[in-house]
Amino acid sequence: MGLGFESHLGCLATDWRPVLGVSPSPPALRPVLLGRLRFPVTPYETSGSEDVLLLSLFVHCHCVDFGDLMDRAVQLSDKVHFLSTSLKSDLDYHLPAVGKKIPHLSLCHTSPLKTPMDKNQVLSLSESELLSLVQSLLLSWTDALLLLSSEASSLPHPSTSTIQVKAKQLRENSDTLGTGLSRLAHKMGSSSSSYIPLRYTENSLGGDDDSRLVNFHFLLSCFRRDSHKIDNFLKILRCRANKQKPDMC
Amino acid sequence: MMSRDSGASLILSLLISAVLDSDGLSPPGKPRLTSCRSPEKETFTCWWEPGSDGGLPTNYSLFYRKENSDTVYECPDYHTAGRNSCFFSKNDTSIWVNYNITVVATNALGSNFSDPVDVDVVYIVQPHTPENLTVVLEDEDNPFLVVRWEPPRMADTRSGWITLIYQLRVKLEKEEEWEEHFAGQQKQFNIFSLHSGEVYMVQVRCKPDHGFWSEWSATTYVKVPDYISRERSIWILIAVFSTFIFFVFIWTMHINRNSVKHFLLPPVPGPKIKGFDTQLLKSGKSEAVFSALVIQGYPPTSYYDDLLVEYLEVYDNKEQVLMLDRKDLQESLFKSKSSSDTDSGRGSCDSHTLLMEKCVEPKEDQTMMPQVKDSEASRDLVMKNDSNTPESTNVKTKTWPTICSSYHYDQNPCYHSIPEMPRQCHISSNHFASTHQQDYWESPADIYHKKPPSGYRYAQAYSEFNIKGIALKEATFPASKSLEYVEVQHVNQENTLILKPIGQEGPDLFHAACTGHDYSRVNRVVSDNVFLLQRDTSGQCHSDCQEREAPVRSCTQQQPGKPADHLQVPRVQETHLAPNGYVDTATMLSY
Repeated sequence: MGLGFESHLGCLATDWRPVLGVSPSPPALRPVLLGRLRFPVTPYETSGSEDVLLLSLFVHCHCVDFGDLMDRAVQLSDKVHFLSTSLKSDLDYHLPAVGKKIPHLSLCHTSPLKTPMDKNQVLSLSESELLSLVQSLLLSWTDALLLLSSEASSLPHPSTSTIQVKAKQLRENSDTLGTGLSRLAHKMGSSSSSYIPLRYTENSLGGDDDSRLVNFHFLLSCFRRDSHKIDNFLKILRCRANKQKPDMC
Repeated sequence: MMSRDSGASLILSLLISAVLDSDGLSPPGKPRLTSCRSPEKETFTCWWEPGSDGGLPTNYSLFYRKENSDTVYECPDYHTAGRNSCFFSKNDTSIWVNYNITVVATNALGSNFSDPVDVDVVYIVQPHTPENLTVVLEDEDNPFLVVRWEPPRMADTRSGWITLIYQLRVKLEKEEEWEEHFAGQQKQFNIFSLHSGEVYMVQVRCKPDHGFWSEWSATTYVKVPDYISRERSIWILIAVFSTFIFFVFIWTMHINRNSVKHFLLPPVPGPKIKGFDTQLLKSGKSEAVFSALVIQGYPPTSYYDDLLVEYLEVYDNKEQVLMLDRKDLQESLFKSKSSSDTDSGRGSCDSHTLLMEKCVEPKEDQTMMPQVKDSEASRDLVMKNDSNTPESTNVKTKTWPTICSSYHYDQNPCYHSIPEMPRQCHISSNHFASTHQQDYWESPADIYHKKPPSGYRYAQAYSEFNIKGIALKEATFPASKSLEYVEVQHVNQENTLILKPIGQEGPDLFHAACTGHDYSRVNRVVSDNVFLLQRDTSGQCHSDCQEREAPVRSCTQQQPGKPADHLQVPRVQETHLAPNGYVDTATMLSY
């Protein structure tokens, strides 16, 4: 269904037409993107202090290297997963017993999304499939992350402030990533994903403190795993987009 | 089901232990899962720690359960990973799935379960060490190390399945501390700033994006040959150059040390006293020093001397006879000064003037003619700067208007000029009063308080006035015009001051005389308050003069105690007419 990444290697034209042929961008126009500061696809990026908006770069240059875009996406997803891991460790540090009470993660709301569970399965997926999978995962988590960040303030936990900050950052980065990827996918010309996002429908974490804490923990664990999936998929995509630069893998 | 089994085995073990208690045998202790690791996110291995075996051979088994499945599986491979380990192969490994693993220790007496552990493979990734670490020395002149390595064999970084980041550390063989460098995702690293002739040790390790650090790789040794670093050579060059510059600078300073000293330590301006010689002071001759400070000619006296040149200064000592001439005035001044008058300013103020003496004695002078009188009383009334009393000055000031008033009131009809004279006098007095009276009255005070110039002014006024008064009968000059001065020619034996008018332009006087003002000139002075008036012989005014002649005569006649030999005037006039029409009194007196 989707166009393979091979056809998108090179430039992404700004006239919103799918680039079918491989047209290596002229070196003069290629923006030199350094570090994790650039993701021109996303016009609004509020996560972190190191995110710099370079939409102008996108406007001025006729071609934006897809590999660089993927690199930027990877940076975001990496950060998201790192935040979720750190948040979970903060939760476990003070209340380790809570971690034992959580239900199986198979009960995560995103479980119905059939994601590959094997390396071979993952590598067999196409780029667009991977991208749509990533998108559906991200979109499934927008509401849940919103709930998490809102509930973090009232969580009966010693280090509430830290949790609150991290949850907020988590949400913001995820939103940015989701928006950017949607635009990227749109530019690639891929059709709407075959994977339907599963929204989190719960409005609250629970009635009493204990259940709220358990539910918070559970949600966070689910997200941690899903964020790892997202990150992994995007890294595979990046590696595929940067075939000329093996160091990127 | 699992719990039921475990419960049953527990009961069984308890029973067995109860039975076998006496033998010292017991069921095995509780094993413990120590860690589970996956080197490439495809397989993983779990290790456990066995508890006490209870004296009996104990069998360990690992059971695991995947999430959302109740199927209990046993470890597929107990041997690959070594003792007390369970190796999960690729087929057995599922990613993003929680494994619930339990180890069971079983012996003849019983079994023991370990605590279950939840494991997700993606979180336990710890790769092997990087491989093929090579360290190469490059660029012999300025050598640096190029360290290269490869990712662990099993890790699939090409597809992007695993993303590894690397870290290397270097140290000198003799040192203790390692120097760590973060290499990121690259597989090459350069090390600079090497110590020449030293041996370096290099190690590298890696870490997945969300995992654990691998172990340090095997050490690679490298020897750096001897060389002179470019950096050091540059520093040597800079040092030499700086030293050279420094020496040049010091030498320049030395050459110009005086100006430098002047610049840095400017000389403090000392006091400059003219004529002050510090050397002389040092020698101790204070008199010489201070005498040098005395400026000759201070206070300035020449100025004052010049001022007094024009003035009639008569300083009358008892025995002193002054023959004053114009030129002699200066000498007299000096004489008077040196003798008794140290205050030069006073000299002029002290001038004895004939008129002033007359002014002093208004009652005696019923005549309008001021007379020169030289008496003791008058002498006392001479203005002296220091010794004059205000009364005397006041007297003098007072007498002045009285004289005028006498002139004014004693209008003698016998003189034609007389009515005019008071007028003239009045005018003159007025004029005088207006212009000089102030000075006159002020100047006594000035004498006491002020400097010679004002005294000079006073003296000027004084003498002017006096002379004017003298010249009333004699001189023909307009009251508004500048005053005529009379200089004392000599003093005769009777202590009478012989006045000689200072030569002025004849025509002016004549004109002035003829412009409606009748002046009479003093012909000669006869003893005791008698002036002889002479007829004016000007052609124009001849008629006037003629007219006046008679009144003159008559006036003279009216004057008390005046002989009739006043009528001798014409005679005198004819014979002794001076070029300017004035009679030379000196010649007159030779009669």
